[in-house]
Amino acid sequence: MIPKPGADRSKRMIEMDNVGFTYEAGVEALRSVSLKISSGEFLAIVGGNGSGKTTLAKLMNGLLRPSSGSIKISGAPAESQSIAELSKTVGYCFQNPDHQLFCTSVEDEVMFGPKNLGIGLEESRERMERALSLMGIFSLKTMSPFSLSLSERRRVTIASILAMTPQVMILDEPTTGLDADESSELMALIRKLNADGRTIILITHEMKLVAEHADRVIILSDGHILLDSDVRGAFSDLEILKASRLLPPPVTLLASRISSIGISRDLLTSDEFVFELSRRYGSR
Amino acid sequence: MHRMYALKMSGVSFVYEGAEGHALDDISVSIDEGEFVTVLGANGAGKTTLAMLSNGLIPHAIKGTLEGSVKVFGYDISKHTVAQLSTLVGMVFQEPESQLFCMSVEEEVAFGPENLAIPRDELFKRVEWALDLVGLKGLNERSPATLSGGQKQRLAIAAALAMRPKMLVLDEPAYALDPVGRIELYALLRSLTEKHGMAVLLMDRDSENILEFSDKVVLMNSGRILTVAPPSEILRDIRNFRAIRVPPPQIFEIASLLNSRLTGVDFSFTTLDEAEAELLSRVPSLPRRGDTR
Amino acid sequence: MKGVFDLYTARDTFLHRLDPRVKILAVLFLSLLGFIMTNLIPLFTLLCFIILLLYLTRSTFSKAYFALKFVLRLMVLITVLWPLFDQSGTPVLAALGPIKITEPAIWRGLTSAIRIGCLATVWYILMFTTTQRDLVRALVKMGLRYDFGLALAISLRFIPTFGFTIESIKDAQRARGLEFDKGSIIRRSKNYIAVLIPAVVYALRTAETLSLSLQSRAYGARKDRTYMREIRMRSSDLVSLVIVVLLFAIPAVAKFVFGAAI
Repeated sequence: MIPKPGADRSKRMIEMDNVGFTYEAGVEALRSVSLKISSGEFLAIVGGNGSGKTTLAKLMNGLLRPSSGSIKISGAPAESQSIAELSKTVGYCFQNPDHQLFCTSVEDEVMFGPKNLGIGLEESRERMERALSLMGIFSLKTMSPFSLSLSERRRVTIASILAMTPQVMILDEPTTGLDADESSELMALIRKLNADGRTIILITHEMKLVAEHADRVIILSDGHILLDSDVRGAFSDLEILKASRLLPPPVTLLASRISSIGISRDLLTSDEFVFELSRRYGSR
Repeated sequence: MHRMYALKMSGVSFVYEGAEGHALDDISVSIDEGEFVTVLGANGAGKTTLAMLSNGLIPHAIKGTLEGSVKVFGYDISKHTVAQLSTLVGMVFQEPESQLFCMSVEEEVAFGPENLAIPRDELFKRVEWALDLVGLKGLNERSPATLSGGQKQRLAIAAALAMRPKMLVLDEPAYALDPVGRIELYALLRSLTEKHGMAVLLMDRDSENILEFSDKVVLMNSGRILTVAPPSEILRDIRNFRAIRVPPPQIFEIASLLNSRLTGVDFSFTTLDEAEAELLSRVPSLPRRGDTR
Repeated sequence: MKGVFDLYTARDTFLHRLDPRVKILAVLFLSLLGFIMTNLIPLFTLLCFIILLLYLTRSTFSKAYFALKFVLRLMVLITVLWPLFDQSGTPVLAALGPIKITEPAIWRGLTSAIRIGCLATVWYILMFTTTQRDLVRALVKMGLRYDFGLALAISLRFIPTFGFTIESIKDAQRARGLEFDKGSIIRRSKNYIAVLIPAVVYALRTAETLSLSLQSRAYGARKDRTYMREIRMRSSDLVSLVIVVLLFAIPAVAKFVFGAAI
């Protein structure tokens, strides 16, 4: 694994110890969840509908407080910090950008977060411009968010969280509704954010995305963690994937089926598969 | 027996009111009765526009400039109301949330036929028939809000089926579903075609798992139709997918890449089973590379 | 979330089985009775009658509590404050400077409180025992235009969904450092713009797709549309209706024709 610059791997950003969460209506959404996320990781949280992945994510930035167990953010107990305070460390970008956009211009929208944190106008402006550049939408600065395409609106909401300079960014299904090109462009930007040292937590049910971008994956099912491992290891455990209504990418299924001809099972992308095969067979 | 077209578009162009470019640019395509057709294209390709033409929402409910002719089962859509066309073409939109508006499953399915003043005893029969067809039998009294995403989508399909259409049009119906739910949905639609002779027109932006259910595939890009062909033909050239900016099915992509990287091979597999069979039989007999790790 | 908006509880009581039109009329008549009665004892009897009916609905405790807690507070408030504003009559029980507490005023305050109690709680008899579907169907049968009935039904159905979306919007804004419970009234009102605008956008978008959906299912195609759900008056419903009318008519006649102290 290539070490990422600016990432202090020993820093524990999020720690959960035996956390459980039950909704008011009595629904137990999470049971005895324990995990540790270090800074600089690129983690995917996957699971079918109702698996508890959204609940887990909301516990990480204080939107929900645990019914049992303890949570530490950046070493300090989460309960002693308000959601606003936690948002300085853990940014949460919701799936639907339209649940968030309300300003008349992109710049106002992106400065909203920093202003809420009490950051002065000058610095808010600097942060906004930096965030817009990072997301490749600086040219949209003065436009109305409502006139933008879905892909652009998504980037605006991610920029608005970036402007709050959190170390950890939780992204909830960021590629929903995007086509292949838009999706890969966005994921490239997200990888850059990770390369710069930020911790990225991706919530998704698209295994291709996980296979191509994440280092580590946590699979949730029915409120508890089925698997917490590096991505390659996770994909070779097909039984667990099936149990959580997830499909590994076809390439992984194929690799495991033909492993008898001597190629490794844990291949994640078409390119890897073809590379593996052409490494051993077929003259140039 | 004279086979009728379910949908026939000739020289169709459409520009949304207030928009600049053509959403559809000189489209001609036809779909037979009982055919399962998938339209593949990226965002902005024109799939939704095409869908909304098939039941008259364009031009009656949505404003713009329409050229060319669109006929469903012989009826010109510009000469008939959406209500009239609804007995021929059932429409299912992307998000179940905004097309389910009744308090119970039963009411939702009955809504369409009620509007057509179908007599009461027939209403009951249609509701049972539609719910049975989509696998929601017995859930009559349930509130749609308590259903899962997959069930909601099935309910939307049942509500459209209750109108007894001869063609079902679905605009990215698997949008909100998890991967397993997607396959289940397509299988359901395929069974409607096979067992009930219903034409299905499906719009999607993901080619995975859909081609094996389709009789015909329409590739769209920027308001134009690039190709109309059976899946087997589409799956001969990977450039078909690049042209419409939709990733090819991964297994097919692997076959293509292998064919271009290795010499002396010509893989033609498109499904997982085919791939397993072909690779296991062909690869071991290929010359090995000198340097193996 | 859903419980608060859906007051209906499925039970098999006489009230549940009663034709919804009769229930609507009953509630209307009882409210009217609450208006025309002016004396304490009759009003108190009415309130007890209403509470009895509410008990017979066998609704859940949480819903009953929800219904009654606000009304109870209001009733106490009225009883306590009334004498401070109504200074007429004798005997005077207490005096604090310019404020005189008179005995008749206390009784008048109590009477008004009980009247408010009647008017506020009588509607729950209907809401606890009638599904939204039946309610709308009854209104349409009683003359409400189907369009309005449908609009009402759809609005009711979307209340929980809308509430859910609002919570989601609030969460998204909380994650951007917005605090809803801090700051002055002005500050807090401004904060709500960040919720209002996405909510309106959501409502408009949903309405647009709904409209297309309705049209795709031939909404408005025929004026003589049929209904799967029928409500028919049985003889027991007619009897109940007669009783309800009498319950209203007897005190009304006694009061206005014979001048009884009701």
